[in-house]
Amino acid sequence: MKKFLIIYLLLGLSVVVCQNKQLLYNWEVTPQTLLLNPGSLVTSQFHAGVPLVSGFHFNVGSSGVSVFDVFADDGVAINTKITTTISRLTSRDFFTVNQQLDVLTFGWLSKGFEPMYFSGGIYQELDAIAYFPKDFAILAWEGNRDYIGKAYDFNDISARLDLLTVFHFGVNKQISKKLTAGVRLKLYSSLISVSSTRNKGAFKTTVREGSANIYEHTVTDLDVEVNTSGFISLDGLEQSQVSKKLLGRALLGGNLGLGIDAGITYQFDNELSLTASVLDLGAIFHTKDTERYRAKGDYTLDGIALIFPELVNGEPAIPYYDNLEDDIAREIPIDTINTAYTQLRPTKINAGLHYDFGRFVGDNGGCNCKNNGTKKKRVSQAGVQYYSIFRPRGLQLAGTLYYTRRFGNTLSIKTTYTIDSYSAKNIGAGMFLNIAGVNLFLAADNLLQMSNLAKANSVSLQVGLNYILN
Amino acid sequence: MEIKITKLFFLITCILLCASCFEGTDFDQANDVVVTPEIELDLIYFNLEASKFYDYTNYTEILVVQDTTDLDFLGGNDINDILKRADFFFEFTNSISREFNVSFDFLNKQNTSKYFMQTTVASGNEDTPVVSYFVQSLDEVQIKELTKAKKVLVTVTIPSSSQDLTGVLNLQSKITYYLQIEQ
Repeated sequence: MKKFLIIYLLLGLSVVVCQNKQLLYNWEVTPQTLLLNPGSLVTSQFHAGVPLVSGFHFNVGSSGVSVFDVFADDGVAINTKITTTISRLTSRDFFTVNQQLDVLTFGWLSKGFEPMYFSGGIYQELDAIAYFPKDFAILAWEGNRDYIGKAYDFNDISARLDLLTVFHFGVNKQISKKLTAGVRLKLYSSLISVSSTRNKGAFKTTVREGSANIYEHTVTDLDVEVNTSGFISLDGLEQSQVSKKLLGRALLGGNLGLGIDAGITYQFDNELSLTASVLDLGAIFHTKDTERYRAKGDYTLDGIALIFPELVNGEPAIPYYDNLEDDIAREIPIDTINTAYTQLRPTKINAGLHYDFGRFVGDNGGCNCKNNGTKKKRVSQAGVQYYSIFRPRGLQLAGTLYYTRRFGNTLSIKTTYTIDSYSAKNIGAGMFLNIAGVNLFLAADNLLQMSNLAKANSVSLQVGLNYILN
Repeated sequence: MEIKITKLFFLITCILLCASCFEGTDFDQANDVVVTPEIELDLIYFNLEASKFYDYTNYTEILVVQDTTDLDFLGGNDINDILKRADFFFEFTNSISREFNVSFDFLNKQNTSKYFMQTTVASGNEDTPVVSYFVQSLDEVQIKELTKAKKVLVTVTIPSSSQDLTGVLNLQSKITYYLQIEQ
């Protein structure tokens, strides 16, 4: 069985997972649910994660294209497939990478006059999103020859990457028989960050009656900005020095930020409950090691106008080309500045309506008698969940229907059906196993595509190992 | 019963994970990706007044006028390997009652000619300017030479001139780059 588990874990860690953790949400048996809703119902006395193994999450997703769309072995030339894919994708399609690793996680029930459950820990996160820059993909792939008159919109360029560690501590309290609420404070330490999300302006090649040359190449109302932090000081360093520097930043030596998570569980009766949470409501203040680039202006290029000057006595020729470069640099200056900037965290919202049914779990009727007041657990729960995340171009949404089945206090299985930006046929399953307080959870997403990952827009698997004392 | 369910769950998900693969795909196709953008870019333009061909101080004809400009974007190592074809397009509108010979000499830094082309522009008049086109398509061998050039020397030659000559010789031009980027 042990070997089985090790092989399983290794396999699991090699597979990508989805950013929306619909399988873990409101699955009250895992400590990780407290990270998704600090106001979850907590039934344990104490929990501690196995360092670096207590929770792992990784996602690669794309909203409009799968590997199969481009690399299918179907006899169609790959260039044709790329052309088709570019024309099908829109500038609202996106590619994401999200990875989280729990470095440390713990929690305990404080049995004072007002019992509260405290929890905290450290996790590392990598989060990146790039929208498909459709106009510039067309320009790079086909050029402007067949697109005279088309405006290439700089707004299409929108991407962001953050690598950070998060130190968090939260408190969870059952306020009344019906209401449980929780809040979690987060301290972010950014290792590196790069973003370019508020660009505007357009580039166009046009034919205009009465213009000086055949075309006019115009850049109109350009305002493009790229913000970076954490990169300049790494420039020219050896690999070992880079690792040392990044480790220092991971331990609160980076650009710092503050955030808050908050959540509630409202128990209408013993069967019906409502949960909601808001996560990462905060910002990182990039005050050091920043470098920001900004290009702003308008310019029309119509070639080089020769004036055939009468040069005498070895007079130098007119430096038309240098003048042109100077003109462009003057009209569209590229400023490099090192000022501080603030970046909001991508805030997430979860909500769910849950219905418990079936017989009660366990020998004692499901009552957690050490933690008075918690509800009795039934063997089955079904419900609907909502998830959204604020991204540079607005909200990304997901809706989930789920069913959870408990087999005593040892085993809990959850299955989900999710509709999101990636897919409308996402079926997932998760399993929580409790062997003498040692808990293993496994959650796999997009199972229908598991047999051929090439056709999946995103695939998921989440793994965690914790000790929970009930 | 519970142990059986656990084992069954392990088994099913293990099978799913083990069976997970990229079926029906051929990643070697990546070697066949060829990016072939075709880029249209304005080149030079001018408006040469007929008066440019006469020296009003010395009352003599000027039969040849020249001008030169750097064209850094023409060449360099970056573009040399990926430029497969280049089409020059020149459009002359002549309202001067003379035929012209116009040459374009692409020179390197040392002023050595790397590529030369010339054309004849038909004579026109001020009431009905005459339009002449000149298109030159360069193959890969010619491009290898062109991309060594850094500037162009434009020479406009008129067979004869006088102080009464009127009109304008107008040039508009562009280049079409056919790039091919592959592994």
